[in-house]
Amino acid sequence: MDLGVSLWAAFELSTLPQQVVNGLLLGAIYALIALGYTMVYGVLRLINFAHGEVFMLGAYTALFASWFLGYGKGSSLETSGPLNLMILLIASMCVCGIVGVAIERFAYRPMRSQPRIAALITAIGVSLLIQYGGALVLPIAPPPSINEKVNPYRGVVTMNLVGGDPQLLEGYEKAKIEFETTEKAWTEARASKQPDDVVRALRDKKNDADRTMGDLQRRMDNSGVKIRIPQGQLIMFGTTIVLMIMLTYLVMFTAVGRAMRAVSHDFDSASLMGINVGKIVTITFLIGSMLAGAGAMMNATFLGTPLTTFFGVMPGVKAFVAAVLGGIGNIPGAVLGGFLMGIAETAVIWAGYGQYKDAIAFIVLIVVLLFRPGGLLGSAKVEKV
Amino acid sequence: MKFFAVRAGSIALAVAACFALQSFAIGKGDLVFRLVFLAGLYVTLAVSLNLINGITGQFSIGHAAFYMVGAYGAGYTANNYAGSWGLKGPLLMLVLLLIGAVVAAVAGLVVGLPSLRLRGDYLAVVTLGFGEIIRIFVQNSPPLGGAYGLTVDAQFKFKYVWMVWLLAILCIAVCRNLLKTAHGLPFLAVREDEIASSAMGVNVTRVKVTAFVIGSAFAGAAGAMLANFDGFISPTSFPMELSFTILTMVVLGGTGSITGSALAGGVLFYIPEYLRDLKPVSGSSLVAAVIAVIAAVYVVKRIADHYHGDKGKRAALYLGTIIAGVVLQIILAAVFKNVPSLANANFEASKLRMVIFSSTLIILMLLRPQGVFAHHEFSWSWIQRLLGKKVPTTAVSV
Amino acid sequence: MSLLHLDKATIKFGGLIAVNEVSFEIKPGQLFGLIGPNGAGKTTCFNLITGVYKPTSGSIKFEGREISGTPSNKIAHLGIARTFQNIRLFGALSVLENVVVGGFLRHHTGLGSAIAYLPPAIKETDELKQEAMRLLEVVDLAHVANVRSRDLSYGMQRRLEIARAMATQPKLLLLDEPAAGMNPQEKMDLTGTVRRIRDEHDKTVLLIEHDMRFVMELCENIVVLDHGEEIAQGPPSEIRNDPKVIEAYLGEAV
Ligand SMILES: Nc1ncnc2c1ncn2[C@@H]1O[C@H](COP(=O)(O)OP(=O)(O)O)[C@@H](O)[C@H]1O
Ligand SMILES: [Mg+2]
Repeated sequence: MDLGVSLWAAFELSTLPQQVVNGLLLGAIYALIALGYTMVYGVLRLINFAHGEVFMLGAYTALFASWFLGYGKGSSLETSGPLNLMILLIASMCVCGIVGVAIERFAYRPMRSQPRIAALITAIGVSLLIQYGGALVLPIAPPPSINEKVNPYRGVVTMNLVGGDPQLLEGYEKAKIEFETTEKAWTEARASKQPDDVVRALRDKKNDADRTMGDLQRRMDNSGVKIRIPQGQLIMFGTTIVLMIMLTYLVMFTAVGRAMRAVSHDFDSASLMGINVGKIVTITFLIGSMLAGAGAMMNATFLGTPLTTFFGVMPGVKAFVAAVLGGIGNIPGAVLGGFLMGIAETAVIWAGYGQYKDAIAFIVLIVVLLFRPGGLLGSAKVEKV
Repeated sequence: MKFFAVRAGSIALAVAACFALQSFAIGKGDLVFRLVFLAGLYVTLAVSLNLINGITGQFSIGHAAFYMVGAYGAGYTANNYAGSWGLKGPLLMLVLLLIGAVVAAVAGLVVGLPSLRLRGDYLAVVTLGFGEIIRIFVQNSPPLGGAYGLTVDAQFKFKYVWMVWLLAILCIAVCRNLLKTAHGLPFLAVREDEIASSAMGVNVTRVKVTAFVIGSAFAGAAGAMLANFDGFISPTSFPMELSFTILTMVVLGGTGSITGSALAGGVLFYIPEYLRDLKPVSGSSLVAAVIAVIAAVYVVKRIADHYHGDKGKRAALYLGTIIAGVVLQIILAAVFKNVPSLANANFEASKLRMVIFSSTLIILMLLRPQGVFAHHEFSWSWIQRLLGKKVPTTAVSV
Repeated sequence: MSLLHLDKATIKFGGLIAVNEVSFEIKPGQLFGLIGPNGAGKTTCFNLITGVYKPTSGSIKFEGREISGTPSNKIAHLGIARTFQNIRLFGALSVLENVVVGGFLRHHTGLGSAIAYLPPAIKETDELKQEAMRLLEVVDLAHVANVRSRDLSYGMQRRLEIARAMATQPKLLLLDEPAAGMNPQEKMDLTGTVRRIRDEHDKTVLLIEHDMRFVMELCENIVVLDHGEEIAQGPPSEIRNDPKVIEAYLGEAV
């Protein structure tokens, strides 16, 4: 990495808002997946390693649903509409919900009375089984991706936060005219076989004008501040926020949510108080997995990421780190952690260290945990003695 | 005097056995030779992680990182410095091994110290993250070969199966000796209850760091052996799954049991290797096997949960279930042969190996979560008790 | 000179003042009682003395030396040992091993000697085990020395807690509700054991107990806490008739 270049990139401040937006967009997806980790951890104190695989299956569900709707590889259909997107979304969420609940029922529930490490190993086992077992039956080579025609929102929204400097614009217009006239003169001079030194002088003049124009253009771009967001990502962000609001409502203001919080606070007492703990755990897995399904569908559709059965590993790990960063078991913490993670990752890429983007998640995590061992919003529980 | 005679004798015996193993393995072709080597490595890795995880109770899931640090430490040193030392053969390998151990021990200290404030799952995530950070940095470090990997100079390639097995034995001996003396108790006590340990005067910080340092030193030494055996290492040789595999060995063997970790380390790594050269499996027998396994596991689990009769009868029931499972698989496979879409699908065994590996893991956890050996250690009196003999338990040592 | 001296020791958990300016002095050889209703802050006092928590303000002196803020394990080395109200044994370890952990703080062989399994470490281990066996006899647990401690009955676990604490050879022994959950017969036996510990083993004992009869019979000096405040201090005869104490224990026959 050339340090000069990276520093130059890092100081390109006019792109800061764009980078923040990119970070938030990325973070929203992490946050959505992180919610699943944190909710499960909240009630069961279990790191659900298979959550990333649920996410992966959600993406495949969206793929199959799109094929079912006729958007296969060489599809001759026109660009689809919002209805199809809804179908994909609902399919993904349903399948993920079912898978999540099944994993809990058949793999985790029998482990509930066992030491936590045994449950964790089971979780790792389930995760590996879905990755490799999935590879036997799901299409992986070449990695398929959802036909881009499924997504009707392929435009880019551009927002001008600050316009360019008017003086620069004026200068730019002048330089442009200068360039056009000199270029014309030069072309004509060459065509009419004028003496070499005249042609050369005109050419130098043209090149000077060109350089001035380019220089002004760059200064103009840097003086203005704009943000460009692909429409699809904007929708993704909006949906994520809506889902988070719905989740907050559910957890804070409904009977089920209250029961969830009770179980999370104290599993044993909650069951003594007559809460059907088994049901609450099932609901927790259902909701967490459905959120992952939504994230997966949007990721696969709007970003068109190619799918393999390892598709969920990295987002899963990072979302998990985000959950821990925010304080695992804490719902607002997961959202905060997700956004921070997205921004940190974008910042690293922006500074020109893109190859370290997968490491930054952990570096941020370790630094935060050193100062706040319970995560940002979590409290490191002091054990009562 | 007798003490030292016995000690010298057993050391001599261990060394002789390792050399015998080397000469046995060398006659069996390259593949077997490497497998015997790897078995020794995995025993070391599993037993060393057991010290951190099983004995001291520190939930580390990034053991491969220390292995990697040791491998790169030794490989890099060999390439850049070892040429001028004038050492050769086993002695040079020994020095490189020590370098791998020291570098990894330092890494263990670096991870161990700040992690002490963290408990349980948080520690787990930090160890996992440490592994990832190391891997990504190696991937981007040109002196270490980056993503392409590091080729160790041919002159530093040592095919010492005996040495890796001596390392494994040493690792087992260190853990066993620790637990045989009172010095091992603070480690176990920290696992059981940190606050009570502290109230009994145990320096919890020191115990944890010691476990991390010793455990990672052995992993690092194993890494050094690998680098110089294969002559090539790359970041992809140390993926996150490797850490999971080692952890699995510890848990399957029985958390805290040295015997269990050692056996699981030696056996478990071999399952995927073995499955690598199995012939392709047809879809019909695969589906039949899946159904049969699920059915058998379900029945075994029910027996385990609900049948509390005498041990012999229970064992007979288990055996019956397994036989029934095998029969069911054969019948179903024959039936499914008539389903063309199943019969015509073929699955290469190499693709099945991780599937089988992970299913085994889940099934074992469902049926025997305390691990195969639970907390038991191999000893003659334990074997006798297992066979139903009444051996006075008061003789059990600390 | 006093062995332990709390001077206006205070600790706050958020808004809750769990222990508020509590002061008392324990002389060597005393059998000292700490009583009060549930949640009065008794266990928290123990936690302050043994370094589990650091006091928000005030001082705690042991043999004239300030110990507030010293880590638990150092305090154990100085000569204070405790038992826990909510039993905290090393569940997977045998009864004997639990006691050896207590005695281990006086070890003098190095880790290297243990790892190499050299005679000094082996010999030390044997000595520690023998010593532990003797302590198990004191609390009448020698017959279950090799049983896993989590498999013991409740009363036995409580006694094992005492043996484990005794193994550190403390000058001051803190017992947190040692009789909780015991039947009358077991309590009687325990009274005898505690007396013997003080008289024959030469310990100073500070004990928390809920059972008034037990405390009144056993202790020579008593401090009463209520809501973190010290409301009375003195010999049992005075405490028995103190109106504040009677009020705190509303209705209970003191
Ligand atoms: N670590 C802690 N965090 C918050 N509150 C605590 C903590 N430890 C004790 N408390 C509170 O301090 C008060 C005194 O508790 P404790 O000392 O255990 O009472 P007791 O006299 O019954 O032993 C209680 O209200 C308890 O909830
Ligand atoms: Mg108490």
